[in-house]
Amino acid sequence: MTLVEVNNLSKTYGDTRAVDGISFEIQRGEIFGLLGPNGAGKSTTINMLCAYTEPTGGQIRIDDIDVVAEPERVKPLIGVVPQDIALYPDLNAVENLRFFGRLYDIPADRLPRRIEELLRLVGLYEKRKGRVGHYSGGMKRRLNLAVGLLNEPRFLLLDEPTVGVDPQSRNKIFEFIQALNAQGLTILYTTHYMEEAELLCHRVGIMDEGHIIALDAPQHLINTLGTGIIHIGVRDGDEGLAAQLRALPQVRAVTYRDGTLIVETVDAQRALLDIIGLFNETDMPMTALEILEPNLESVFIQLTGRQLRD
Amino acid sequence: MKKLLYVASNELLLLLKDKMAAVWMIILPLMLTTIMGLAFGGLGGGSEPVVVDLPVVDRDGGEMAATVLDILAQTQGTYLHLETEYDEEAARQLVTDGKRAGALIIPADFTADVTSGNPTALELLVTPGGQTAPLLEGMVRGVTSGFSSVQTTVEVVISEVRRATGSHDLDYEGIAARVVATAQERLENPSVSTRITTVGSAEEEFNTFDQIVPGYAVMCAMFAVLSGAGAILEEKERGTFKRLLIAPVPKYALLGGKLLAQFIIGVAQIVLMFAFGALVFHVSLGGSILGLVLVTLATCWATTALGMLLVAVIKSRKQIHPITTLIILGSSAIGGSWFPLFLMPKWVQQAARVTLVAWAMEGYNRLMLFGAGLNDVWLDIGVLLLYGAVCFGVGLRLFRFKEA
Repeated sequence: MTLVEVNNLSKTYGDTRAVDGISFEIQRGEIFGLLGPNGAGKSTTINMLCAYTEPTGGQIRIDDIDVVAEPERVKPLIGVVPQDIALYPDLNAVENLRFFGRLYDIPADRLPRRIEELLRLVGLYEKRKGRVGHYSGGMKRRLNLAVGLLNEPRFLLLDEPTVGVDPQSRNKIFEFIQALNAQGLTILYTTHYMEEAELLCHRVGIMDEGHIIALDAPQHLINTLGTGIIHIGVRDGDEGLAAQLRALPQVRAVTYRDGTLIVETVDAQRALLDIIGLFNETDMPMTALEILEPNLESVFIQLTGRQLRD
Repeated sequence: MKKLLYVASNELLLLLKDKMAAVWMIILPLMLTTIMGLAFGGLGGGSEPVVVDLPVVDRDGGEMAATVLDILAQTQGTYLHLETEYDEEAARQLVTDGKRAGALIIPADFTADVTSGNPTALELLVTPGGQTAPLLEGMVRGVTSGFSSVQTTVEVVISEVRRATGSHDLDYEGIAARVVATAQERLENPSVSTRITTVGSAEEEFNTFDQIVPGYAVMCAMFAVLSGAGAILEEKERGTFKRLLIAPVPKYALLGGKLLAQFIIGVAQIVLMFAFGALVFHVSLGGSILGLVLVTLATCWATTALGMLLVAVIKSRKQIHPITTLIILGSSAIGGSWFPLFLMPKWVQQAARVTLVAWAMEGYNRLMLFGAGLNDVWLDIGVLLLYGAVCFGVGLRLFRFKEA
């Protein structure tokens, strides 16, 4: 069952197309990841999904409601955890949650219980009376998450929720997200950390320069690379050499980009021996050699020629 | 409406949680008011001469009237700018309206009465409680007593000498005795006196704090309200403003709640300072509490709307603080918060009309210094309301809820 439908969505600022005609669907109970470097268009997409930014074109439907036409009907259904720590540092955790809870029309008799549940969930109940400004970065992130959950949303949008967080707090946040998803919550998760996308997401859309350039389950995306990629630095992209490499039994594909031959292999270790042999035979100089572990990072590199964390 | 009140109450809660707010909104304003009130306890006490506009109606036009004007013009410590272009009715109206602290009327036949020794009086119209009124009274009394004790004595001496020159048998001792006796008699019963006529209804004595307290209350309320306006920019930078926009909160409730809180803060600031002034320094709240309330509400509305306009045109928190400080201090200096507007040069008085402080202070001064009633401050209230409406309208048009 589809909860979110995004069709040909775009957003333009002046001459810049921040999001350029993307389409995807998110199923109920799914964790859907948007993976991409800074500036890829992930946050702009989230802003449009939560009715903060009006799209230049395209449609968004959440729970069969048109977000652009009826934002006020959609807002109570969604929870948003923005990238910024959007909290009042002079207030304590309870005061922050109480204020936002009132804005989400949580009944007065229900609100104190909901606040307690959330504070226990994110492990801040004991610290609930301390000023948020005195919290550690990880504690603030957890409270930021709790505010997004106040209204018991059907769809939770998490915009880079682990930026600037220590590993311990990051793991806790992962646990919350998995626990929430286990209860049936549908989640959109943006990140530029490929490990997070691999760990949490059922499906991932890889974004770059406003486009979704790949969309599938993380393992499927990784499998497209075979078992590894070998980068070979060369002085020039000799097509003859590329053809010889393609002919090797363990090699699936070879492309040349900016002084590097990118070799997709079936088995990187065996292919490496053949490649070195070929270079020795042809007496071609090799300026660099790198074996990339098959993961979403290498998928992104394979697709764009750039690293995720440029 | 409920959400508007939630937003407003959260703003007030944030203020209560801010420990520095107690310093900025309570300790500093009260301390500043006390120090300035005590320092300016007497006008002319400072090293700088005070400039006072004094309308003079010369119905005599003679030599003695001219002498009076010369003496007044040369008064040390205070520079009297004598205005001779008004007739008696216009001069009286200026004083009644609180636009001048006093006006001097030199009666017809003043020269003739002085030279002949007949009793006569300079009439000084003053506002009761006007803070320069005692100063003017003192100056005019000084002139008139000078006329009485010196001028008339000299007249006597001259006539005695003239009479004496016609006689070879001079009785110098007798002449001297008569001169002294005449001078003493004139000193005790001056032929030229000052008649003080009060214009207006207040009867309480002038208290420097009647000017200082509203002046500093308006200034501090502006600081409190405009720093609250700056908090909107802070929220935009922090990301909480975006979170509020994502929540199911109408935009009018979001902005309205924040403005309502600033308005309440402004009113609370002024009420606090007036209460302090009334309890500690016995500040006169004038004859119309309703007038005082309406001027306060109109002032806070105009200030809140000015804050809205500033937040709409200024893009960052770093920019807004120096700009608001400049606006507040500049408008307080020329608008009458620090010194009464009528003590300023005319061009300053004209320029000050563009500030909300000038209209607020005119309203407070009329009510608290000149004993005016509600009917006398409708113009000030109206201008402040209009000022606020214009700032709010332009501000709302320019305000951007979302950054691109």
